[in-house]
Amino acid sequence: MYETTYHRPGTLQEAVSLFSKVEEAAYLSGGHTLIPTMKGRLAAPAHLIDVRRIPELSGITVGPDRIIVGAATTHATVAASEKIRALIPSLCGLAGSIGDVQVRHVGTIGGSVANNDPAADYPSAVLALDATLHTDRRSIPASEYFAGLYTTMLEPGEILVRIEFKMPEIAGYAKFRNPASRYALAAAFVARHRDGNIHVAITGAGNAGVFRWTEAEEALQARFEPDAVKGLLPDENDLMGDMHAPADYRAHLVGVVTRRAVENLGGTLIE
Amino acid sequence: MGSPLHKSTSGPGTAVLEKPEMADLSPEMKLVRDALFRHVGKPLPRKEDGRLITGKGRFSDDFSLPGQTFAAMVRSPYPHARILGIDTAEALASPGVLAVLTGADLLADGLEPIPHNPVPSTKFDVKLTAAGGGIPFTGPHYLLPADKARHVGEAVAVVVAETAAQAADAAEKVFVDYEELPHVTETKKAAQPGAPAVWDEVPDNVFIDSSFGDEAGTAAAFAAADHVVTAEFHIGRVTAVPIEPRSSLGHFDEETGRYTLYAGSGGAVRQKGELSKVLGIEPKNLRVLSYDVGGNFGARNRVYVEFGLVLWASKKIGRPVKYTATRSEAFLTDYQGRDLITKVELALDREGKFLAMRADNLSNVGGRCVSLSPLSKGSGLITGSYHIPVATLRARAVFTNTMCTQAYRSSGRPEVTYAIERLVEKAARELGFDKLELRRKNLVSPDMMPYTNAVGSIYDSGEYEKNMDRALELANWDGFEVRHEEAASRGKLLGRGFANYVESSIGSPKERAEIEIKQDGTVEVVIGTQPSGQGHETSFAQVVADMIQVPVEKVWIILGDTDIVSVGGGSHSGRSMRHAGTVMAMASADLLKEGRRRAAEHFGADFDAIDFESGHFKLRGTNQTIDIFTLGDLTREKDGPLRVARDNEMHTPVFPNGAAICEVEVDPETGHVLITSYATVDDVGRCINPLIVHGQTHGGIAQGVGQAMWELCAVDASSGQPLAGSFMDYGMPRSDNMPSFKCEIAEVISPTNPLGIKAGGEGGTTPALATVVNAVLDALKDYGVTDIDMPVTPHAVWRAIHQSKGERDARAS
Ligand SMILES: Cc1cc2nc3c(=O)[nH]c(=O)nc-3n(C[C@H](O)[C@H](O)[C@H](O)COP(=O)(O)OP(=O)(O)OC[C@H]3O[C@@H](n4cnc5c(N)ncnc54)[C@H](O)[C@@H]3O)c2cc1C
Repeated sequence: MYETTYHRPGTLQEAVSLFSKVEEAAYLSGGHTLIPTMKGRLAAPAHLIDVRRIPELSGITVGPDRIIVGAATTHATVAASEKIRALIPSLCGLAGSIGDVQVRHVGTIGGSVANNDPAADYPSAVLALDATLHTDRRSIPASEYFAGLYTTMLEPGEILVRIEFKMPEIAGYAKFRNPASRYALAAAFVARHRDGNIHVAITGAGNAGVFRWTEAEEALQARFEPDAVKGLLPDENDLMGDMHAPADYRAHLVGVVTRRAVENLGGTLIE
Repeated sequence: MGSPLHKSTSGPGTAVLEKPEMADLSPEMKLVRDALFRHVGKPLPRKEDGRLITGKGRFSDDFSLPGQTFAAMVRSPYPHARILGIDTAEALASPGVLAVLTGADLLADGLEPIPHNPVPSTKFDVKLTAAGGGIPFTGPHYLLPADKARHVGEAVAVVVAETAAQAADAAEKVFVDYEELPHVTETKKAAQPGAPAVWDEVPDNVFIDSSFGDEAGTAAAFAAADHVVTAEFHIGRVTAVPIEPRSSLGHFDEETGRYTLYAGSGGAVRQKGELSKVLGIEPKNLRVLSYDVGGNFGARNRVYVEFGLVLWASKKIGRPVKYTATRSEAFLTDYQGRDLITKVELALDREGKFLAMRADNLSNVGGRCVSLSPLSKGSGLITGSYHIPVATLRARAVFTNTMCTQAYRSSGRPEVTYAIERLVEKAARELGFDKLELRRKNLVSPDMMPYTNAVGSIYDSGEYEKNMDRALELANWDGFEVRHEEAASRGKLLGRGFANYVESSIGSPKERAEIEIKQDGTVEVVIGTQPSGQGHETSFAQVVADMIQVPVEKVWIILGDTDIVSVGGGSHSGRSMRHAGTVMAMASADLLKEGRRRAAEHFGADFDAIDFESGHFKLRGTNQTIDIFTLGDLTREKDGPLRVARDNEMHTPVFPNGAAICEVEVDPETGHVLITSYATVDDVGRCINPLIVHGQTHGGIAQGVGQAMWELCAVDASSGQPLAGSFMDYGMPRSDNMPSFKCEIAEVISPTNPLGIKAGGEGGTTPALATVVNAVLDALKDYGVTDIDMPVTPHAVWRAIHQSKGERDARAS
């Protein structure tokens, strides 16, 4: 790891102004992506600004048709939240399927959504649940937030503060894991919203990161049954390929996990 | 008899075993044998666990010395590149940097290559030679190469600085002028004409090419056979992934002129011997300490360049130097395992009797040859647990632009077991035999023991069919149909796999034990093996406690410091309990003899009038007794401490054996494989501590299953870059993807050593590869899948299903 200076601001204002004052700064949340990257000497921020003590970034609140989760909330907290479980159990299941116990107790939803790893779990829920990303300066709809592999519309220095999920009528999450890393090789978050719209968000597979699979949405819109997506495959050319799963296998898995998510509405299926 | 693998063996059949080296029983030795089994065979909990789980272990990186500095390596980004020059100026000018050393500096200082001595040389090892019989060129292994880098990650320079971070920062400022050269990483390609040469000395990369067995006889048997079944397998490259990355701390003391090295390994004595040659110093001027070791599995048996580099650098800068590998460096440059291509052919008669076998084995040793143990060990066991009258074997080894390979848990045996057990299944499938019946028909039977196989290995003892029967019972083989139907009702394919195995344990022949009755009422045993989790502190204490009849809590095992332990073969090849147990028995007998002498003097009686019972020397016919500790105290002044040292050499190998069965559930839609049950029977000879042996079996199974299911050191052939450089891409066995094992120990006593021990550390691994893959193929049989490469990842299984479906569709249309 290269030399770095650690800061722990207590307010949003302090964090943002610190970021603008120093060179080569990075926000630090759970550090479960950033620190390993620094250890591997692939990232070298000169200043780490820990956002976890900023009050606005914590807490889970439930509104009539919304669940709002602070960006510094750990995966374990979401997984164990009774409030969320009562309303969107698949979101708890998703959080509970991330990494291992240690990762879940330190890694945060904000870090995951800011990082936008193409194999991460949360981005699929953000997209499928039509979330709004609240930052220190604005609110960004999920449909405009993700901007390709490890890229988002966050500006330099912009802090993700809260994530506001729209309450669906019902949702389901199914994930097929990479046998080595246990990140998603392909995972589908399927939600039927209260206005009747169906969203299918796929993570782990797209060569530009998380995406809405519109063909599957149309098929399910016509008939909200598992076999409505039978035989449906995304275009291989839009998918990633690596030693664990070339694009044709990923395309096949996307079809399987989408169907299984619909089979498991109200729950989570992790393989 | 006992002939190594030569062109003309006497052929398979019953052999005469060499006598155990200490068959003549002195009265003390009788006592030792009679008393032996009080603790032995009991599942005593491990003495070392309390220390290890409360953070009191002494692992290499736990040691620090005043004024110590830190080393970082500059590693080659290329698989094959000539080093035209190295610019160290900017690194030397960086904060905290004390030295930057290169291969050229090393040659200027006259350092020698590491004398790995890779060719196995006991008379029971196969004799591997260059083509035509010459001495093979194995590629000098300097601590830093001055000519070329031969694999990605090879260290080409070392930077020493005040802190580890400064060393790592400066290492990025060492500029190496490389001339990239064509490279080859694949085993088979490297042996093909026209492949880039890794060493100019061996233009075709094949530096070992030896043939064994009865060629004419084999050819005749094949010509006369009713059936011939052939197959080719690649047992891929894996790495040991020890929890503790390798680490070393070197210190040169100006005043005494002595070097000290703290470095966990498979045996400090070997490290001392080889590193003193590298440095060109007397062995007595190097002390090596290896205390707790966080995993070895073979990867730590051989000397690592960094161990020599910290010693050399320490002398140059006059301060201690520490190097600890990162996990990435461990993935890149820990000695790796396996990587064998084997072509096998089996000749059978109409009834399914095996008539002859041919094997053509090609081992990938990487950029230089560190060890030929895998090729050699496997060569002696190509016929597996079966009586095959004649066989021939061609054994070759090839250089490639990859990290070096070394013995890895059960060196060479899982590879050949995989080949024979898959070949036998293939024969059963293609010729319409029941796969178990075909095995039974051809097993080596107990009345053939000791048995010489077709390539000259002498199996000491074993009841192979009994192992099979018991394993089948444990696994409830006959209840399979019910389980199969239940799985099918959930859309899953259940498959079952079976494998027999026999393996050999030879290991370094010499061992020494020193036993002393200490003043504080304890017994100290000095021994030259090196545990890395095997529990020697417990099982060895059990052995000595039994023999000299003292409570096991009083016995302390001292290991790992070459100033105390002068001889010792280390721990590998399942040698430790057998070698250490035997020499400890002999030393115990010596100790009792010396005790009787002193007791006789004490009682003013005849030596022959002294008996030894329950830890007390007794004057026969009286009630005068003295316990061993008091005797030690009373005679210390006159006779010195009650202490003995005993050396022993044992050459005769033993052949642990057994059977393993696993069941897998395959999801045909995703290709996901779930192991649902796993049962084994392992004949380890005499079992000293079943708790420890079971633990070894469980770990061994996970390690074998790991290779079958997930592990692979994948390399991109076109760029030569390793693709699995972290846990993100290198899949591991975990507690949540292993079933609960059903393991049983069979004890068929070995006649080759006085305690009857075989070995128990590797049997879990040896049949696992074959068992798992056979199970997966069984699950996929309705899809027409007959072959699949390891690891059987979801993608591999899905691909196999689709390919064979595609082929069937193509045939149908
Ligand atoms: C062993 C292991 C296994 C894992 N397995 C999974 C898995 O299965 N699925 C999965 O989805 N993830 C997995 N992860 C990743 C884990 O979920 C991370 O915790 C997460 O991706 C990042 O969250 P963090 O809080 O650790 O963020 P950090 O590592 O602290 O930050 C990540 C990035 O986001 C930026 N950032 C952080 N917070 C904010 C903020 N509030 N505003 C703006 N920018 C911010 C940082 O600057 C950094 O660039 C795994 C990680 C590990 C180490």
